[in-house]
Amino acid sequence: MAKYVCSVCGYIYDEAAGDPQSGVAPGTAWEDLPSDWVCPLCTAEQSEFNKEDSGDSAPAPAKETMPLYEMHDDDMRELSALEVAALCTNLARGCEKQYKPEEEALFRKLADYYKSIAAPQKSADVGQLIALVEKDLTEGFAAANAAAKNDGDRGAQRALVWSEKVTRILKSLLARYQKEGDDMFSNTGVYVCTICGFIYVGNNLPDVCPVCKVPNWKFYKVEGR
Amino acid sequence: MAEKYAVRNLRLCTKDCLCLYVCPTGASDTENSVIDINTCIGCGDCADACPSGAISMVPKVYPPQQVKTNAVTGTLKSLVKSKSEQESIAAELPGVLAKAVEKSNRIMAEDLLREAGFMLPQSDNTKEFLQSLLTDKHPSDFPTEVVEQLISKLYDTKEDKIMSDNKTHDNLMAGFTGEAEANRKYTAYAKKAEKDGFLNAAKLFRAAADAETLHALKHFEVAGMVGDTASNLKDGIAGETYEYKEMYPPFIETAKAEGNNAAVMTFTFAMKAEEVHARLYEEALDNLEDFEEVFYYLCPTCGNIEKFVPERCSICGVPGDKFIKY
Repeated sequence: MAKYVCSVCGYIYDEAAGDPQSGVAPGTAWEDLPSDWVCPLCTAEQSEFNKEDSGDSAPAPAKETMPLYEMHDDDMRELSALEVAALCTNLARGCEKQYKPEEEALFRKLADYYKSIAAPQKSADVGQLIALVEKDLTEGFAAANAAAKNDGDRGAQRALVWSEKVTRILKSLLARYQKEGDDMFSNTGVYVCTICGFIYVGNNLPDVCPVCKVPNWKFYKVEGR
Repeated sequence: MAEKYAVRNLRLCTKDCLCLYVCPTGASDTENSVIDINTCIGCGDCADACPSGAISMVPKVYPPQQVKTNAVTGTLKSLVKSKSEQESIAAELPGVLAKAVEKSNRIMAEDLLREAGFMLPQSDNTKEFLQSLLTDKHPSDFPTEVVEQLISKLYDTKEDKIMSDNKTHDNLMAGFTGEAEANRKYTAYAKKAEKDGFLNAAKLFRAAADAETLHALKHFEVAGMVGDTASNLKDGIAGETYEYKEMYPPFIETAKAEGNNAAVMTFTFAMKAEEVHARLYEEALDNLEDFEEVFYYLCPTCGNIEKFVPERCSICGVPGDKFIKY
């Protein structure tokens, strides 16, 4: 019997043990799982699981051979208004951590201003979101990971691991939403981890965030609009 | 002023209050539970004693942040651009998931920017960013004053000077207190010598008292404690208010309990006069730009100040003709 590891949160699906809490009997083979079975911890889809390495499997994936990142002209471009807003809320959080409430409030004021002048999206739809998520997963993270590894930047690698996992969860959720629509939220809560951005849809909020491992009281419950 | 100071995380504080018992200066004993940074000497005893781990010792100066290469910041900023775009698209979509996606993307953008060279609010990168906002052109509703306040709070505050030169600042303030005390002491001794007819000794005490004033003023100025007149007035209001509201009432109670009537009287006069001073400072602050001349009259007995010559002092009853005009 084989084991499969969730690449987002590290949960292990053991065919011998099954997942009785989700109605999967012990001895259920990976191939025989119901198609709507998702990671019971972080809700990642089956495609995010890898068969546990038994020691004699294929060599390391091609990630290591990523070509080195080359600078583009627009890398150092001016930040958009919404990016400046994010920069300011990041700095506000920095002040909050340092117990500087006045500075925190000032950065939040500045962030509010920049958010108010950000140009709104004209015709927004879920398809645009999915396209950007795909592009992040195929290009953006690969390039940034390569640069961070090459330059030995441990902090950047940490942030990239977290946000890449969160982005993969976003991809699953958006795909499900396209299929199921608002039905997917009937009788479930929607939560966002305020540290890494992980989104949890369901009623069994894990004790710690599956991505960044912060205790779940740091989660924010999202109410509909 | 110490290198570090104690802060209390209110969410973790279980009010077991061991910090109150171990704090040598009473800095942790405040009605709003915020440890008083001005009284804290940074000894760390409260943090060691706290059974809930709610108190941390926070440095006054943070180490420089990690150096980032252009390749890292460039690729991270490309991702930030995408995350902000997703935030903006999600903001226009209905439903609870869109709201979660909007928030999630903001959190990711913040974290990526933090690693792209903007971790510390005190860093050179943040300073350059804020300064560039002052030189850029903006619409008229741009909150310039917010940026200016941030720059002044984070980079060129009085506290910053204190941070860079802690020991000397401490010494300057200790020198100021000592010299100020010596001035008042010698003045008291001079008055006594005059009364008893030792005029030469009195003269020397007067001269020495003036010399200590010179020292005290210089120490205070070098310590960076003299701000603009508006902030000095505010400091005056704070000092006088503290004295009449918090310092003197318990002094008077104790003096009464101990039967020291002279102390009760001098504390009471001072308390009442400080209240008047606080009010006059407030008026002066409100009318700082008003240049029409104002006269003040000082009661030489109790320290009361009036803006006219009263028939008798409203605090101690001394006749108005004794008042000194300023």
